[in-house]
Amino acid sequence: MFAPISIMTDMSKEMVLLIYFFIGIGFGFFLERGGLGNSKVMALQFYFRNMTVFKVMFTAIITGMTGLILLNAVGWLDLGSIYMNKSFLWPGIVGGLVMGVGFAVGGYCPGTSIVGLSTLKMDALFYILGSLFGMFIFGETVPYFEKFFKSGLMADNGTITIQKYFGMSSGLVAFIVIIIALLGFWGSEKVEKYFRDKETKNEIV
Amino acid sequence: MKKNIYSNPYLAGVGLGIVMLLAFTIIGTGLGASGAMMRTVVAVEKVVSQEHVDNNFYLAKYGGGDKNPLDFWLIFAILGTFAGGLISGALSGRLKKETNKGPRISIKKRWVFAFIGGALFGIGTKLARGCTSSVALCGGATLDLGSWIIMLCIFAGAYMTAYFVRKLWI
Amino acid sequence: MNEIAVITNKVNPSLHIWGWEVPVYLFLGGLTAGILIIVSLMFLGKKEKEYSFASYKMALYAPIIMTIGMGALFLDLKHKLFVWRFYTTFNLASPMSWGSWVLLIIYPFSVLLIFATIRKGYPKYNEWIEQLLSKINFVLKIYKWLLEFSERNVRTIAAITMPFAILLGIYTGVLLSAFSARPFWNSPLMGPIFLVSGLSTAAAMVILLAKDHKEKEFFTKIDLGLIFTEITFLVLFIIGLTTSSIQYQKAADLILGGKLTPVFWVFVFGFALIIPAFLEILELKGKKIPSAYAALLVLIGGLILRFIIVDAGQTSGWLPY
Repeated sequence: MFAPISIMTDMSKEMVLLIYFFIGIGFGFFLERGGLGNSKVMALQFYFRNMTVFKVMFTAIITGMTGLILLNAVGWLDLGSIYMNKSFLWPGIVGGLVMGVGFAVGGYCPGTSIVGLSTLKMDALFYILGSLFGMFIFGETVPYFEKFFKSGLMADNGTITIQKYFGMSSGLVAFIVIIIALLGFWGSEKVEKYFRDKETKNEIV
Repeated sequence: MKKNIYSNPYLAGVGLGIVMLLAFTIIGTGLGASGAMMRTVVAVEKVVSQEHVDNNFYLAKYGGGDKNPLDFWLIFAILGTFAGGLISGALSGRLKKETNKGPRISIKKRWVFAFIGGALFGIGTKLARGCTSSVALCGGATLDLGSWIIMLCIFAGAYMTAYFVRKLWI
Repeated sequence: MNEIAVITNKVNPSLHIWGWEVPVYLFLGGLTAGILIIVSLMFLGKKEKEYSFASYKMALYAPIIMTIGMGALFLDLKHKLFVWRFYTTFNLASPMSWGSWVLLIIYPFSVLLIFATIRKGYPKYNEWIEQLLSKINFVLKIYKWLLEFSERNVRTIAAITMPFAILLGIYTGVLLSAFSARPFWNSPLMGPIFLVSGLSTAAAMVILLAKDHKEKEFFTKIDLGLIFTEITFLVLFIIGLTTSSIQYQKAADLILGGKLTPVFWVFVFGFALIIPAFLEILELKGKKIPSAYAALLVLIGGLILRFIIVDAGQTSGWLPY
């Protein structure tokens, strides 16, 4: 077992920061490649006109997931030492829904808005200013709903995997996710084609 | 069609997945964007009033006492994200000052709605403790149940809103 | 006890009190030097017809930017009333002292350069000034004579300005390297690095403000060369530190694994040098890239470079820290 490398080799904090810069470059690079730095591409997802967001996201998820499971299986990666976000069910659900509304209205999420800004999309700039404002409001008001913010801690320590919760093997869950993703990709191509045909028809008429 | 100039979304997705995997194997954490923004907010508040930051349990976590909220890997990840977007955009000739919007809305209105959308996302992401990158993407790949629930809620919220804001986009 | 205290005060002055003012002063000083060198070179090389912004419009910025920089320095000086002392004692060994004298020469010559270029560069400003002065015929005559004199002798003025502008650019770096108590700064390359960086920021200013496409392209090429020179100097600087005695190596550690490593490599090498160079190369290859992008990164990067170097120098010292 040799990964996560930073933990195994006791890497200095400065090196971790520097490596994160390079990982960030890869992140921004592929987001931009895929078109996620463009709010129009992002938003049309929610009208089934352009399924890029779904395609990029789910290809990334199944790539990452398969990689993690394989690396764990051959004993190279210790899944236990990977940091996972603690989930609190109720604020998670409300927060997710609010994020969704913001996504449809603003056309970005924080990561893609940074990419949008780097390619000089002016709407991304206003989105980022809005996000900072929203976070400011949240930070100022959270003491008033601290109880709700800390309610519904998932499992004992805040993280539980799907396989553990349902008592399945990780391979089976991964298989199901891949099947769902593939069906989704197939559906995406269909629905995109449907709207393309409709558009060209309209243009001819 | 304009979207054809972007590369194949599946290829971009595989690239993104490999980057995420690198983050997991090298450092042992995923990626995130909203954390860096929150830290920027706290850094500004800290300059204005240290006492105010110290008295708020949430802000104190980032910048209480002599903690520097900007001294954190998320900040460097987001600087990298900016550089990466810039590199890809430059290589494909997509560095252009513009505003992306639907055909039925003016540029100024689009800016206003971008701000409102950003503010809502900002509140939501802090409430759920993560944004699309950290929760949906990285949480999704680690098959974390809570993350999948939040991801589904994001999509549900967006699809439920889409009809009412269709004038913004189509 | 007393003796020791006196010695350490001399060798190791408490410098860790420099805030934003000094880096800003060094940045604006370097930018001024770069502007004056470019303007002088335009006239000495007889390129004024080809590159009109750099020749006729840029000189105006030099004294303005320098004044803002001096303002920043003035804010930093604790004993503001003693500034004049720099001038009453001329001490060759003190860069603070000869820097002040260079500035004293730079100011009038940059004004002469403005006189030499204002009629072509800013005809409207000139008209406005002439109208203002027309009430006093005598002054107007002097003004017009000054314009004609400067225009006629522009190449001589440029030839005199040029070496002093180079000195000013070097001075912004030597000012730091003279602090022998700070191993990070105490490098003979400090002057050249700051000079080249100042030139690069001035070239970026031309790219940012010039209207003519050919002029932008020419200065993009120049800036690219300057960026690569700066990278070379910085690499030599780091090699120099690491191959010196232990104190220098410790100072180098600050950016080679130590506290300032991420900021130095990400901001200075990444955003200020490599990314602008990358954008400029793509642009020269014909990709559609807004030229202001790289130029702004170079300008912001130049400022950040000075912030980081000033900070690194203050952190490094002979004594264990």
